[in-house]
Amino acid sequence: MAPSTDSEFVTIVSNDGFEFIIPRSAACVSGTIRRMLDPSSKFPEGLTGRCVLEEFSGIVVEKICEYFCYNEKHKDQVNVPDMDIPPELCLELLMAADFLDT
Amino acid sequence: MAAMRARHKIRAPRRGVSHANTEDFDSIWTVLSSSLTEINTKNASTLAFEEIYRHAYKIVLMMRAPDLYEHVKQLEQDWLKTNVRTLIVDSISSSLVRAQKSTDAQDQSSERREAGEKFLTVLKDAWEDHQLGMGMVTDVLMYMDRMVTSRTHPPIYVACMALFRDHILRSPIRDGSPLTVMDVLESTILFMIQLERSGHIIERPLIRHCIQMLEGLYETATEEESSKLYLTEFEPAFLKTSKEFYQAEGQRLLEMGDAATFCRLATQRITEEEERCRYMLSVTTEPKVLEVLDEQLIRNNIEEVVNLEGTGVRRMLDHDQLDGLRNVYLLNKRVDKKNQALTKLVNTRIVEMGKEINASSILLPQVPAPSAEKNDKGDKKPEKGKDKEKPQNQQTVSAIRWVDDILSLKRKFDHIWEHAFTSDQGMQGSIGASFANFINMNSRNSEYLSLFFDENLKKGIKGKTESEVDVLLDNGITLLRYIKDKDLFETYYKKHLSRRLLMKRSVSMDAERQMISKMKMEVGNQFTQRIESMFKDMTISEDLTTNYKEHIARTGDPDHKPVDLEINVLTSTMWPMEIMASREGTAQLPCIFPREIDTLKQSFERFYLDKHSGRKLSWQASMGTGDLRATFVRPNGKVQRYELNVSTYAMVILLLFNDVPDGEGLTYDEIKTRTRIQDHDLIRNLQSLAVAPKTRVLKKDPMTKDVKPTDRFFFNHEFHSPFVKVRIGVVSGGANKVENQDQRKVTEQKMNDERNGTIEAAIVRIMKQRKTLTHSQLMTETLSQLSARFVPDVNMIKRRIESLIDREYLERVSEEPPTYGYVA
Repeated sequence: MAPSTDSEFVTIVSNDGFEFIIPRSAACVSGTIRRMLDPSSKFPEGLTGRCVLEEFSGIVVEKICEYFCYNEKHKDQVNVPDMDIPPELCLELLMAADFLDT
Repeated sequence: MAAMRARHKIRAPRRGVSHANTEDFDSIWTVLSSSLTEINTKNASTLAFEEIYRHAYKIVLMMRAPDLYEHVKQLEQDWLKTNVRTLIVDSISSSLVRAQKSTDAQDQSSERREAGEKFLTVLKDAWEDHQLGMGMVTDVLMYMDRMVTSRTHPPIYVACMALFRDHILRSPIRDGSPLTVMDVLESTILFMIQLERSGHIIERPLIRHCIQMLEGLYETATEEESSKLYLTEFEPAFLKTSKEFYQAEGQRLLEMGDAATFCRLATQRITEEEERCRYMLSVTTEPKVLEVLDEQLIRNNIEEVVNLEGTGVRRMLDHDQLDGLRNVYLLNKRVDKKNQALTKLVNTRIVEMGKEINASSILLPQVPAPSAEKNDKGDKKPEKGKDKEKPQNQQTVSAIRWVDDILSLKRKFDHIWEHAFTSDQGMQGSIGASFANFINMNSRNSEYLSLFFDENLKKGIKGKTESEVDVLLDNGITLLRYIKDKDLFETYYKKHLSRRLLMKRSVSMDAERQMISKMKMEVGNQFTQRIESMFKDMTISEDLTTNYKEHIARTGDPDHKPVDLEINVLTSTMWPMEIMASREGTAQLPCIFPREIDTLKQSFERFYLDKHSGRKLSWQASMGTGDLRATFVRPNGKVQRYELNVSTYAMVILLLFNDVPDGEGLTYDEIKTRTRIQDHDLIRNLQSLAVAPKTRVLKKDPMTKDVKPTDRFFFNHEFHSPFVKVRIGVVSGGANKVENQDQRKVTEQKMNDERNGTIEAAIVRIMKQRKTLTHSQLMTETLSQLSARFVPDVNMIKRRIESLIDREYLERVSEEPPTYGYVA
């Protein structure tokens, strides 16, 4: 895999193997992922630009990535449309938010 | 609705891996701790961040976060103690430890330096590794940090930094040794700085990193700015050594005994320290170390430097060493906003130089003094050539030179002030004060200055452009500013001006006007009022002359050959009459004019009084001139005509000879009785007519230089001159020059009288307004009113008050405190 420390996109992988490629800046909405990707601390995630989230399934990771993009798009704005969150996912997403420091 | 709810059943969060395989704390910790060790050994790239993070997350979910925190701390502490500390302690060579004890840094300096650099490098690397490692640990333990951090638990990063502080920096370098790594670090850095101060090149970035380390460590876990190790430990030590260094340095530089070098090196030190703080230490130290430097190097020494014999400021002033002066000024400015040391010396020097100028202006006249004195006593020698060589005029020349010297001194200091003292306001004030000081030491200052103007307005400005004249006058005005007794100056100026105006000696009326407007700006309206009215008189007189000429042309009898009259009617209060009136001050009989002139005089008097009734005209022959057309019959019968321009008195004398048959003469006494000219004026006029070699219109018997009452005078038919128009000046009469002692006394007397009047006027003005005033208030007010003109003597004012009380203008209202009232 190409070294991607300076790449604009990163890959987020779920525990069941789904890969989501999102802009690095969007991924860094999460404090955890931001630190994970910090190239100065020499972790493999930082070197490869690929983060495997063992804790979450594809469905959840998809929603997480959606949120990252949503967050980035509407950053510093008021009166933004609500994001659609399926009720059945909300608890898991809450856990994820806690884990990812988002 | 029910269907909806069924479909949208909230999925319970899976308890995920954590619950599925219920690992206990210890097993997870084992994994974690090995990962952390990997991080410490910089092997992080083999570990997955996510995995470590997840493990920490799990432990925190188990509610074991505090345990994890303690475990991590313990792990890091062990790591520091066993691995890092050994590394650092090993790098401390014995020479460093030894140097710790010995104070002299110079021996084995290269060895110590090498060892020091090695030590610093190791320490720096260890610190950077620790910083990086702890950064990573903090990242992976972020979840724990979020849960644990509280009042009792600082973030893990801070805790680990504290570990480094305690277990590395504060650990003894050997077991049982009182020295800690910190001590060695400190002394090493100070040693490096010492090396740099003595001119060696050291590795600044290395030290910068170590300083950064100290800046990154805090005494307490709360990390307040003021508790940085740098501030608590290193900076005081640094300032202390700096202080010692600069004390010694100041002593050393002073011993070199060269003020310029001292200042140059001191300035250099300042920039060095600034730079050092900027690139090696911390910017916050800059003001502190500079203060130490100011205190030790400058404040303690500056006075001595300024006064250094032979090289100090004095020499710099004398040799216009602007750079040196600027350095001194800037240094002094650092420690003393008022620059007292420098100012004091500059002032003394100015006064000294000023006194020299004063002295030389007095000294010079003493050389030709004998002849000058003779001249004064009326026991006169014949004049050789023109005014310039007259011994009396030498004094005038020296007066003008005095002014010129002062001006050039002023220019010199202005230049210094501008270029070396950065146009400092305070300096300007004190330089001005010093000038005023020595200028006022010369009691003849007003007279000299007025003579300077006189000279320049008569001759000096010929062929100069307007701007040059402007500069010249401005210079003079600058001096006027310094003169205390401006009224005295006014008197002299008026006197000199009246001569210039009446004798038409002034080169340019424009320049005169310019001069007056400048004085007006400088000293005020009141000052120039009378001078201006002198100008007005001159203009009016011109009109009057023209009018009179027309009048004569209309009414004059054609058979009588009219004599042209150009008249100046002067208002007696505005003009300095005393110089025109007799010197003895006694009322004198007006001189007897010859018939032609007398008719003219009467005709004009009629004409004038017709226009302005109630005025009194008194004729001042001593100030006038007359043009004569004289016919000389040569022995061979040839007739030679000359036009003579002589003073009025000389004209009167010459006209007498019209009635004297050829070959006969008149005695002095005869002339005197027939003209009634005062002895003083008569002698002078006869001298210029009969003794001065180029203008000998009369022959004298015997041919001596002095005029005696028994001498006889004959018309000199052999008079010869290359010019048709001959100007015969009156001996030592016309030119403005320095007064002799008697004249000065008269002037002073006059001055005092005038001052008395001015003071009384001021007192009455004040009292009229205030009605009652205490003595001291009245004093202050009077002084402040008069200060623009002169500085009155307090006793003088007291006497005036007494006199006003006597004359019942004022009354004593109360005795305690003394109070006066105005009597309307």
